[in-house]
Amino acid sequence: MISAHNVKKYFGNNKVLDIASFEAREGEIIGFLGLNGAGKTTFMRILTSFLPTTCGDVRVCGYDVAKQSLLVRRHVGYLSEAPPLYPDMVVKDFLRFAARLKDIPARQTPAQVAKALDLCNLNGVASRVIGQLSKGYRQRVAIAQAIINDPKLLILDEPTNGLDPLQILDVRKLIKNLEHKRTVIISTHVLSEIEEFAQRVIIIKQGRIIKDHSLAETPEAAGGAKLFLKLRGKRPDIESALRVMPDAAVTAMTGDDEARAVELDLGKGRESYNELIEALLRTQVQILEIRKPSPKLEDVFIRLTKGPTKEGQSV
Amino acid sequence: MKKTGILASKELRAYFTSPIAYIVMILSLSVFNVLFYMIIDQNREAVLRDMFLLMEFMFVFLAPIFTMKVFAEEKMSGTMEFLQTTPTRNSEIVYGKYLSSVVFFLILLLLTAPYYAILEFFSSPDVPAILTGYLGIFLEGAFFIAIGVFTSALTRNQIVAALSAYVLILLLYFSVGLEKFFSGTPQALVHYLSVMGHSKNFFIGIVTTADLIYFISGIFLFLTLTRIAIENRLCR
Repeated sequence: MISAHNVKKYFGNNKVLDIASFEAREGEIIGFLGLNGAGKTTFMRILTSFLPTTCGDVRVCGYDVAKQSLLVRRHVGYLSEAPPLYPDMVVKDFLRFAARLKDIPARQTPAQVAKALDLCNLNGVASRVIGQLSKGYRQRVAIAQAIINDPKLLILDEPTNGLDPLQILDVRKLIKNLEHKRTVIISTHVLSEIEEFAQRVIIIKQGRIIKDHSLAETPEAAGGAKLFLKLRGKRPDIESALRVMPDAAVTAMTGDDEARAVELDLGKGRESYNELIEALLRTQVQILEIRKPSPKLEDVFIRLTKGPTKEGQSV
Repeated sequence: MKKTGILASKELRAYFTSPIAYIVMILSLSVFNVLFYMIIDQNREAVLRDMFLLMEFMFVFLAPIFTMKVFAEEKMSGTMEFLQTTPTRNSEIVYGKYLSSVVFFLILLLLTAPYYAILEFFSSPDVPAILTGYLGIFLEGAFFIAIGVFTSALTRNQIVAALSAYVLILLLYFSVGLEKFFSGTPQALVHYLSVMGHSKNFFIGIVTTADLIYFISGIFLFLTLTRIAIENRLCR
């Protein structure tokens, strides 16, 4: 569906994008993560043929984004960061206008508009002026224009940006309905959103892809798994038992001999902790609770985007 | 070019859903009506030549108002990105927007047709001179609109777009006054660039190929520059 190789984009002398290789399969849902200015929007704009690359080869649906931009744009639905709406237009007129610009034949336009109104739950406001709608509804209208041509690739740049919590839930529900049978790229600052939608996460930093993994792999791959223990016993006994895992680091130890909470970082790549349990059982320490919390994407994101990028880390 | 029509009709509808279109039309026609009365009353001639001269001067100021929002507003609101990510050619976007402004201008021009009817009712006006006068004023207005569309494509700020259009249009309009500062080829060039030098023939019933080429090539030059501007990242 998408293939990008050796893509570089300069604004003046400033290199804003440097992607060695990126591929996306049909039906994949990919989350783009990165700080502001990381290059996410630039990459999305290149995928929509809105911006040219400085060099490199980018293909969407098999078409070159530079040489066959009209064909690319025919297969892409794009929701930009600022919802692209005309406040003076009526919702259904705007969708009809979008449909005609997206090469939908006049005869099929009413059916496609009705379908988009249905999918985005906009039937109740179809005859209203866009400028009079709430922000949540306006975002729905913007999403409706992006899907009006049944695009093979749907690109959503911060689709829940600036919405209130209820509107965010609404828009998330809507996006979940759209995912079927198409490749979706979502960029957002809300990490839980990525966890909710995406199968694969791309973390971009200073224009480079620094992480490209399936969501399930990402937390472990990014650093050590955490282990939480609640123990009853003396501190020296606990500390001596912990020494059987020299790679593990105690990140927190609170409480008293009756109930002591210990938080451990097991170390990169390590998942088992049998020897620690055996060591604890050999002492007078009682194990009250053992929990291995899944590291959150947020931790991974913060860990990966902190500090400078190393050369050659792009995927 | 089907999309040129789709864009033009959307733009034209947008003109008439905002009160600005009606305000511009009512104010322009009010001024034209007063001027028409004054000219006829003073000259006692069944000609629209002086009326065309005043209308052309008015359009120097009106054209940037018609056009200042054409691209600047789209860029400000982010809808330019929407247009340019649909399978629509940049030239279709430019022609569609230009066409809507020209049609709006044409409607305003047609609303002055009763002046001819009044002259016809009371006298026997020189019909060919009036028709060529209308052709001249239309070409001149269409040229000014192309300039306004171009400056609107350069910025997100409507005021900057309008002011830039005024500078360009006024330079072309008054360049005839700058001729005395030049000699030889530069003087001939300044003379050729003067809008007034090309429009005055139309108002007295003369249509020359040179004048037609001046306006038509000027329109296409500025529309081409507009297309280049919207393709250029710096103007986005």
